[in-house]
Amino acid sequence: MAETIVEVRGLTKKYGKKTTVRGIDFDVREGEVFGILGPNGAGKTTTLEMLEALRPIDGGGALLDGIDVKKHPHKVKEIIGVQLQSTSFFNQLTLVELLRLFGGMYHQTVHPYKLLEMVNLRDKAKSTVDTLSGGQRQRFSVASALVNKPKVLFLDEPTTGLDPQARRNLWELVQDIQKTGITIVLTTHYMEEAQLLCDRVAIMDNGKIIALDTPDNLIKDLLKKGFKKKAEVQQADLEDVFIDLTGKDLRE
Amino acid sequence: MKDLNAVWIMTKLFTLRFFRDKIALFFTLVFPLIFLVIFGFIFGGNESPSFNVALINKSQTDFSKTFVEETKNGEIFQITETDFESAKEKMGRGEFDAILEIPEGFGALDEQGRPSGTLTSYFDPGDEQVASGFQATLQGVLDSINAELVQVEKPLQLESKPIQTANLTRFDYTLAGLLGFSIMGLGIFSMSEGFTVDKKTGSLRRMKVAPIRAWQLIVATALNRIFVGMISIAFLFITALLIFDFNMRGDYISFALFSMIGTACIFGFGMAIAGWAKDANQAAPLTQIITLPMMFLSGIFFPTFLMPVWLQNVTQFIPLTPIVDGLRMVLTEGKTLLDLGPQLAIIGVWTLVIYLIAFKVFRWE
Repeated sequence: MAETIVEVRGLTKKYGKKTTVRGIDFDVREGEVFGILGPNGAGKTTTLEMLEALRPIDGGGALLDGIDVKKHPHKVKEIIGVQLQSTSFFNQLTLVELLRLFGGMYHQTVHPYKLLEMVNLRDKAKSTVDTLSGGQRQRFSVASALVNKPKVLFLDEPTTGLDPQARRNLWELVQDIQKTGITIVLTTHYMEEAQLLCDRVAIMDNGKIIALDTPDNLIKDLLKKGFKKKAEVQQADLEDVFIDLTGKDLRE
Repeated sequence: MKDLNAVWIMTKLFTLRFFRDKIALFFTLVFPLIFLVIFGFIFGGNESPSFNVALINKSQTDFSKTFVEETKNGEIFQITETDFESAKEKMGRGEFDAILEIPEGFGALDEQGRPSGTLTSYFDPGDEQVASGFQATLQGVLDSINAELVQVEKPLQLESKPIQTANLTRFDYTLAGLLGFSIMGLGIFSMSEGFTVDKKTGSLRRMKVAPIRAWQLIVATALNRIFVGMISIAFLFITALLIFDFNMRGDYISFALFSMIGTACIFGFGMAIAGWAKDANQAAPLTQIITLPMMFLSGIFFPTFLMPVWLQNVTQFIPLTPIVDGLRMVLTEGKTLLDLGPQLAIIGVWTLVIYLIAFKVFRWE
């Protein structure tokens, strides 16, 4: 079994009297794609931002590659890549320049063209972010999170707002990144996305983790309880129809 | 060392970004230039003062006719004949500097056959400086007529000759204030504007993801702005030289170094405001509170020596004052950096204090 790279114990976040993350525990193993699922307001983003050292931890703690987030936030930032849920880049700089800027912040020599190649934006190297489509912007955001060759990559709802083609494209990118050995922690509220990408998922609701296992095991557990889908399971759904009609090619 | 390298890369790219931002460019390079040109033309001439005077003539004597005629032809007074009520109303609006009333029988001959009488001048007490200037000038005119009429040799006399000390024009004097004004504009207005926008869009937050510290961002931004500030000052200075015949007496090294130090200091204020404020709504009032005293009490528009002594004692500690004073001393008096100890001391203390505050209150979002 792979080593644990993220170790979360009793992680808690309070805003005034409201507790949004209630002492959660979980481990992420090296090289896996770990999904945090849950409805809006479940505490997914807050959890991620505490691990990314962007928000103070109010209780419990977390180790990333053995580094205590609370004690050494800057050391943690050096080994992680972060794609924020909503983010923005300077519109006056080209993609290559932005990657150089971020590389500079990590004291890393960056190869902007290689990174852009990886996210399929090589031909947009000299463009600015405001000219990119939603999917391209999201892929650039991922590229910018890879400048420091992170050990753990955090993706916060990476496909929200994307059309089916762009979403599939991003899924492939996530799988490609996983192949390079980077551990990925992502949040989503699309179940098919979690089922396809994640090795294991934690389901969060009201600031607590209410289930944690591989997607297959979670489904098996449900079936064991005698669950049956109301409608007869079809071999295709509307999204399959949509993709079949419009093709897999990216529209951007 | 690594940290400084990051600062350097950030500085370079921030500067590149700045030069691609057309609005920022307009406000930092073109806007101060427009300002300079307008002020240059206002203060540019070396004209002697002239007064707008409402004249109410109630006398029909020959002398008063000649007096009015002569005064009208002179260059010092712009005379408009009118009635008292409308003159008073217009003076209230600032259209007239004073009202001059020539009473009935003014200029009638007395026993010795000399024209005599008393003129009355009305002035707005709210505008005492202009009024006293007008009165002194008018008194001078009367004195010279009196001297002709009476023909007495005065044993004590005052002779006034205009000499231009070191040939200083009013524009030469004004330039330091204008440079101070544009440093303030760049350092405080454009700074707090730009930074709060970056907070709003979240691009600062994206940088917070990286292992950089607030001081690195602050220093990189300050360096970038100082560089831009130098370019803006160079632009203004070249315009002053070419269009307004500015007479540079100081040395360029002192000028450049002192401007740089001054700019760095003032940027600290913009940085502290912008770093602290969460959005433009928080930044705006604070910007006003800090810039208004600078604008009116630092000698940008009004020379500090015209202020009452107690106020001068206060204004010399306003951070922009030593900067404007120092620039003026370099530009018009040929002082070098070594002569500016007191100014540099005040600037130094402010710089230290304001950057400590800026580091302390900085917020990423």
